[in-house]
Amino acid sequence: MLAVAFVRWWYGAGWKLVQKNVRKRMERTSASFSIPTLMRTLFAPWKRIITSPGAGLNAYFRAMIDNTVSRFVGFTIRIFVLFAAGICMLAVSVAGVLQIFLWPLMPFLVVACIAKGLMP
Amino acid sequence: MNAGPNFNSLRAYKARKALKLGATMPRLLQSGAVGFALLAAAIFIMADSDKRHVGFLAIAGALATFMAAVWIRDDLTDLPPEDKTLDGRLSGEVLGRLNPRADMSPQYVWNALVGHWQANFFLNRLLISNEMVTGAFSNDPNDMPAIWQAAMQYADKGGNPEIEVGHVIGALLNNTPGLKPFFAKLRFTPDEIDQVMAWLDRALEAARVEKPFFGGIGRDWSSGFTPVLNRFGHNLSFDIEHGGSQFGSLTKSAGVAALQSSFAQGSGAVALIGADGIGKTSHIYALAQLLLEGKVVPTLKYNQIISLNPSVIISSAQHDGELEQIVLTLLNEATHAGHIILFLDDAQLFFGEGTGSFDMTQILLPVVQSHGVRLILAMEPHDFQRLKTKNPAFANLLSPVTLTEQPESEVMSILEDTALGLEYKRGSMVSYEALCEAYRLSGRYDQEHAYPGKAIQLLEQSLTHGFEGSRMITAQSVQAAVEQARGVKVSSANQVEADALLHLEDAIHERMINQSRAVKVVASALRRARAGVSSTKRPIGSFLFLGPTGVGKTELAKAIAATYFGDEANMIRLDMSEYQQPDDVQRLLSNGEHDASLIVSVRQQPFTVLLLDEIEKAHPNILNLLLQLLDEGELTDSAGRPASFRDCVIIATSNAGASSIREHIERGEELEEFEKEFTDELINSNQFKPELLNRFDEIVLFRPLKPDELAQVVLLMLDGINKTLANQNISVELTPAAIAVIVEKGNDPRLGARPMRRMLQRAVEDGIAGRILRGETQPGDHVVLDAGDLAI
Repeated sequence: MLAVAFVRWWYGAGWKLVQKNVRKRMERTSASFSIPTLMRTLFAPWKRIITSPGAGLNAYFRAMIDNTVSRFVGFTIRIFVLFAAGICMLAVSVAGVLQIFLWPLMPFLVVACIAKGLMP
Repeated sequence: MNAGPNFNSLRAYKARKALKLGATMPRLLQSGAVGFALLAAAIFIMADSDKRHVGFLAIAGALATFMAAVWIRDDLTDLPPEDKTLDGRLSGEVLGRLNPRADMSPQYVWNALVGHWQANFFLNRLLISNEMVTGAFSNDPNDMPAIWQAAMQYADKGGNPEIEVGHVIGALLNNTPGLKPFFAKLRFTPDEIDQVMAWLDRALEAARVEKPFFGGIGRDWSSGFTPVLNRFGHNLSFDIEHGGSQFGSLTKSAGVAALQSSFAQGSGAVALIGADGIGKTSHIYALAQLLLEGKVVPTLKYNQIISLNPSVIISSAQHDGELEQIVLTLLNEATHAGHIILFLDDAQLFFGEGTGSFDMTQILLPVVQSHGVRLILAMEPHDFQRLKTKNPAFANLLSPVTLTEQPESEVMSILEDTALGLEYKRGSMVSYEALCEAYRLSGRYDQEHAYPGKAIQLLEQSLTHGFEGSRMITAQSVQAAVEQARGVKVSSANQVEADALLHLEDAIHERMINQSRAVKVVASALRRARAGVSSTKRPIGSFLFLGPTGVGKTELAKAIAATYFGDEANMIRLDMSEYQQPDDVQRLLSNGEHDASLIVSVRQQPFTVLLLDEIEKAHPNILNLLLQLLDEGELTDSAGRPASFRDCVIIATSNAGASSIREHIERGEELEEFEKEFTDELINSNQFKPELLNRFDEIVLFRPLKPDELAQVVLLMLDGINKTLANQNISVELTPAAIAVIVEKGNDPRLGARPMRRMLQRAVEDGIAGRILRGETQPGDHVVLDAGDLAI
């Protein structure tokens, strides 16, 4: 009874659970890196550090340069984080896909490994 | 009809296996898997090539133990409900504990489940033990189907897809006829079991909810730095993020929705109006949680709430103008950061109202007008009214969100959830009756604050009054907390006190001569109150004492204060001849901001005698106020907050009709014979309005004292003198002849016993003083004074 229950679960609810967990893991990774927020604010100034333009052309250009630098800093940091997020997402996805595909094979792998182990 | 669950199903089988394997088995197997994997790695690295095949056995071991661990954890242990039938909904915890071969009787099911934590939850909350109830369950399996159905109904009611151990325990307790007399004795109602069930269901739901996610690494990178705000403010969002979320249910409240909607509709500043204790700060925390979860309109998503404390700001300003500079910097920083909502708790302090306040209306006005930064100003209703009067332009810019007191069921739910948090922090166990008592007594004795705050505060205070020194918090713990904090008697009279109450007349007569009828009616009222027989909506007792001066009216009031309230000092005495003007009503009702008043005195000393001397001299407006006081047991102060007089004995005294009483007595009539006639006389002569007289519990007539009673008064007064002289180890005794002389010389029917005091001073105290100074009386002497020795 126990063995039947195990097989039914492993190839039924268990496999579905693995797929659900993989999807959850990917969502959590995306959320941890704030990917939607970073994409939306990719060119926004870093921590809102901006200079208000004063009177005169010089002040205007100085403010423009300052603000461009702030945006550049923001962009650089965000793009690096997005790059890191991409790598992590890829790793999580690959691991997830492997897990989903290996799951049904696992009982056979056990049998195969035992067979291989017993036969020098 | 479904006779009962199938305990031979695969689900039940899995549940039993899981319980047998225990919770640690998956962890052990996982460790085993890691061990096998390491072993395999070691073999492949270190072993000779002809022996490496053994490594595959280790891999097989690792895979097999891993698969077993996952299966036990995710299938056997975690059995989700399969369908909506009884079979499909019974939790693994229930199924695993029941043996399919046993007779499934209520007795068997109870014994199988009683060790589970959910069963203990019930027993502890209801203050019952297994031994008290276990014998009441039937051994007939035919009784179980009804109990299974009741358990399913409990689960449905709690919105729980599973039928858990608690549901079955609740159903067993509520559907066992043998327990009904036991519960009746403990004054339990089925409703109380339902309430504890709902409490458990909410705890189970809280455990099921996943921890909210508050944004990721880059959440705040597009918002500005806030160094000055961090220094002067308190970030409530940070508390939520790092202290865990405890405001789950409140995030769905109407108050939080109204706050959100005000900001979503473009309002820059919201006035959050509610009485002290209603939960204004909790609502702000709940809003902070909602904002962090991002379940709001995009413009509010991930906004943070920072609370500003005016005293911190004021204490930081060293010189003129610095205060304004700091406030401007704070506002600029919040505006520039772009994701800050400023929360001004006790906002009246920012408008120059109260201690430690300053007026920053002029600084805030342009900020609110320009919608530069979002503001929440929390204040009490009367503070908002004051702001509207003082600064209507500013007040009109605020969107008001008013929090009203929640119904009892909601307050109880909040109390229950709070109790679980307190238990965790303080290591106590709070019973359900303690929660009910906290609700009831805080409602009765704390009228300055609103629910749920006042009930929570009382519950916190009662945690130090564990039942018989244990961790269990009962109704008695709450009563003890109230008695300690408020100086009132709320617990049932113990045997010693009951004896004292039964012999109250004797105790009062130790200091009162005669006036037996007056003493009796007052003592009866006090006994009714302590036995819980009289109405709790009115004062303990209200009496109008009528009679000539010097017959013991005030003395009886003092005797009540001393014998019932524990000390003569437990008396608030008002000379009503000082309240003869219409405006004097305000003096009584002032809320204590500028001077003490009757309301303030009663709030400080709720368990007291309120003595209203010479009531007939008070202004009619004051007497009208007294009507409300006697009827409802409370008055409302000038700020609109009620003050309870329900633990007071109210005594009004008057000399009105004194000569009439004397005439009746001189004609040889007893008090009871002319009471009715006398009362009619008072009404007909317009000395008292009938509606006032009718509201007193008793109108008590005091009769003039006879010479033999005055002699007893002299002896009582002599006792007082002897108590004073006891410090010098001297005692005085009067012979009967001396007493007769004092009574004869001091007797004045118009003044009652009052002249006796002066007479004793002259006759005894002066004489003894002279003897001491002349050295004729030494410490240790006992002086006997005869008629001839008196210095009259």
